[in-house]
Amino acid sequence: MQMTGDETAPQKALVEFREIGKTYPNGTVALRNVSFQVIEGDILAVCGENGAGKSTLMKILAGIEQPTQGTIHYEGRQKRIADPNVAGDMGIGMVHQHFSLIRSLSVAENLALGQEPRRGLLIDRRAAADRVRELAQKFSLDVDPETKVGSLSVAAQQKVEILKALSRNTRLLILDEPSAVLTPQETQELFEQLRSLRARGVTIIFISHKLHEVRALANRITVIRSGEVVEDGVLSEMSDAAISKLVMGVDVTRASRNQRDLSAATPVVVVKKATVATGDSDRRIDAIDLTIRAGEILGIAGVDGSGQEGVVDLLCGNVQPDEGDISLLGRPMALATTLDWRRAGMAHLPGDRFQIGGAPHMSLVDNVMAGSHRDKQFTRGPFLRVDAMVARTNELIKTFNVRCLGPREPLNSLSGGNAQKLVAAREFSSNPKFLIVNQPTRGIDVAAAAMIHGELLRLSQNGTAILLVTSDLDELLQLSDRVAVMFDGRIAVVLENDGLTPERLGPYMLGLEKAS
Amino acid sequence: MIRSAFASTAITVGFCLFVLLVVLVPVALLYPEPGEVLSRFLLGPFEKTRYMGNIVELATPSMLTALAVVLMFRCGAFNLGVEGSFFLGGLTTAAMVLWMPLPPLVGIPLALLAGAIVGSLVCGIPGIVKATTGASELVSSLMLNYAAVFIGLFVLNYYLRDPTAAMLSSDRFPAEYRFESLIPRTRIHIGSIVAVVACIIGAIYLNRTSQGLEVRISGTGNDFSRHLGLNSVALNIRIQVIGGMIAAFAGGIEMLGLYSRFTWQNTTGNGWTGVIVAIIARDNPILIIPAALFIGYLQVGGDLVSRAFGVPTEIVSLIQALVMICVTSVAIFQHPALRKFVQGNRGEAAQ
Ligand SMILES: Nc1ncnc2c1ncn2[C@@H]1O[C@H](COP(=O)(O)OP(=O)(O)OP(=O)(O)O)[C@@H](O)[C@H]1O
Ligand SMILES: [Mg+2]
Repeated sequence: MQMTGDETAPQKALVEFREIGKTYPNGTVALRNVSFQVIEGDILAVCGENGAGKSTLMKILAGIEQPTQGTIHYEGRQKRIADPNVAGDMGIGMVHQHFSLIRSLSVAENLALGQEPRRGLLIDRRAAADRVRELAQKFSLDVDPETKVGSLSVAAQQKVEILKALSRNTRLLILDEPSAVLTPQETQELFEQLRSLRARGVTIIFISHKLHEVRALANRITVIRSGEVVEDGVLSEMSDAAISKLVMGVDVTRASRNQRDLSAATPVVVVKKATVATGDSDRRIDAIDLTIRAGEILGIAGVDGSGQEGVVDLLCGNVQPDEGDISLLGRPMALATTLDWRRAGMAHLPGDRFQIGGAPHMSLVDNVMAGSHRDKQFTRGPFLRVDAMVARTNELIKTFNVRCLGPREPLNSLSGGNAQKLVAAREFSSNPKFLIVNQPTRGIDVAAAAMIHGELLRLSQNGTAILLVTSDLDELLQLSDRVAVMFDGRIAVVLENDGLTPERLGPYMLGLEKAS
Repeated sequence: MIRSAFASTAITVGFCLFVLLVVLVPVALLYPEPGEVLSRFLLGPFEKTRYMGNIVELATPSMLTALAVVLMFRCGAFNLGVEGSFFLGGLTTAAMVLWMPLPPLVGIPLALLAGAIVGSLVCGIPGIVKATTGASELVSSLMLNYAAVFIGLFVLNYYLRDPTAAMLSSDRFPAEYRFESLIPRTRIHIGSIVAVVACIIGAIYLNRTSQGLEVRISGTGNDFSRHLGLNSVALNIRIQVIGGMIAAFAGGIEMLGLYSRFTWQNTTGNGWTGVIVAIIARDNPILIIPAALFIGYLQVGGDLVSRAFGVPTEIVSLIQALVMICVTSVAIFQHPALRKFVQGNRGEAAQ
């Protein structure tokens, strides 16, 4: 690896954590006795299972949370990082696991927030926009300052987040799972940019659950488990197996699919020549034909924005087709709303777990029971049977291995990955006849991903028809019985997965080949 | 969760006391006997049964209007039509009592029901307009409040007016329609019990029924309820109609509990007080009860010092405003140092 830089240069610690401990007000001990150094000029990977305390540690460094014990030393001096502004002044910028941009404001406005250039009493918009252009050029991250953040693609929003983190003479850039929402291509591009930042002398801390990304980018690694540092060293000296073992504490076995012949199984979802011509351009679809059979996992591949989201929207009732037919178990669904789809047996794990998939401020019970809150099992007349709901929630917390203090805690007290497991638990446990999963293992650790995969395979064995949308080709090929490749809003080809490889899919994904 | 709910309540109470003193002490110092002013304001309301009765009388309508506001806010509807609903509810109930002399056992519930239905329009129409055209319910409900007053004045002037009375007012209500006082030397009436029960029912509805769960989900934003397939548009309208009914019902109760004629020539302010109470109660129906009593207590205290020492009653509004600012400053609530101060180190001990 060419990235370790000049090996002979003295290694200077930029940040030193000394015996950092963090107990959240609700009693969760997120970190204990964390001590290690971040070497100036390094790219440090921080790894660890869901709920290990990675985000918490980084939030402490960025001044968002305060440690309950220990001290932070920055450039050799002890510092109290009282709030994000102090961190900004020290040259620390952070990109959060969940986007923190304001969607109704423009890129320039978002970047200016809190440090607005003034002209008299007014905000100098021109100066704000110029500053964004200047920054964008300096770091070769290409964004238009005037666009509303809400209308940007996820990858572009990610760039804005990074620009925001870099906007104050940043010397230390923290990225909390920056690649979780990106496609592999976008991730490659991000990594290029991070490498060039490093070449400018920016130190980078980066959190990821994907080992190959860690290998591609970082030169040092710190592993956290249950709030404690279990390893801190040079990456090239460690084997993949050793790292996996350190992260999870145990070896993880991957769930595997059995080759099955499903051509005789009942079709559950049948889509005929469905077209959606309105709405966002990357959600439009054009004359889609699709059949998903009972017990089948149909994967959708494609470059991001090829219409996968459009298919999801169509099959969960978010939009109705302008033309064409859809049926679910023989029932016509072309005019159906989400409620109709749900009643007919659809469940949906959405790509965005916090905006769409759950209510961050509501309790775990409310989040898990929402949707089945009218089932006989959980009601007595108009009233909820809270005891039954709590029991059910506890059961799901256990099966899906959600790390939390209890079912009455709010969803936003969970770590990112655990919140995702909880939303998955709700959707998977509704005994769906048809299940849509969109990026099912985004931001989830290896063991949890294996568990989610296992659940998906179990559901398919029990006859659920599953539509799998994922930008992770490994996952796609590991789980799918058939793969539909989309390009430009159309289905380019549908292939049986009898040993498919990414290379076979490539030309179709890029629109170079079409099924005859 | 429970501990943190307790913490925010404790912080709210702390702020109320803090603001009270910050405003009162300097004001009291302007008078020759500052100690007297302070003790009259703070302790005076508890000196006589009558004063304590006043607190409860003042708190009764605002508990109900606050409940209406809480329900609508929790569902995500920022509807301020409670003021107009309260007014129209009072007017309709008065008109029913005057025009339909049925036996009280039938007549009173009927009059209150009619008031609730008519009054609910002020909150319900903005809800429907929002659902069909997207116009902000905040703006349209504020405007409808004025329409409600003018309709009321029109009806009062042309249909209800007692020509023999010196001022603009309706005929006298038949005595058997008026609520009796429950406690001697006060005017506390059955409405106070109704209000407390309503708040408890409101809490049960929100936290323990399927529909209440839907209300809370709708209130967190559209994406999640759409994902679940909930029809939050219909739910939103329904809640605004119910909110309007509760506020209008409060107007009717106020009318029969405290008045002998309909005399309102403008909105009464009980709706605004309800908004204040709802904010202090942090949208929690049970906390409405103490919050409304607290505001009632301030008003009685302010009245006493105003009568005894000529202290302007505006200080009550000042205190209310400051309490509101403090309570809504989420930033303060989330201040880690303050939280830690309140919760002590029990957090660590629990682990
Ligand atoms: N605001 C909060 N209140 C209470 N507990 C919290 C809060 N935020 C996080 N926690 C808890 O602290 C622990 C560590 O969470 P953290 O978010 O740091 O995990 P993480 O390592 O980033 O995990 P993930 O990979 O899932 O993002 C978890 O047990 C979590 O439930
Ligand atoms: Mg995290």
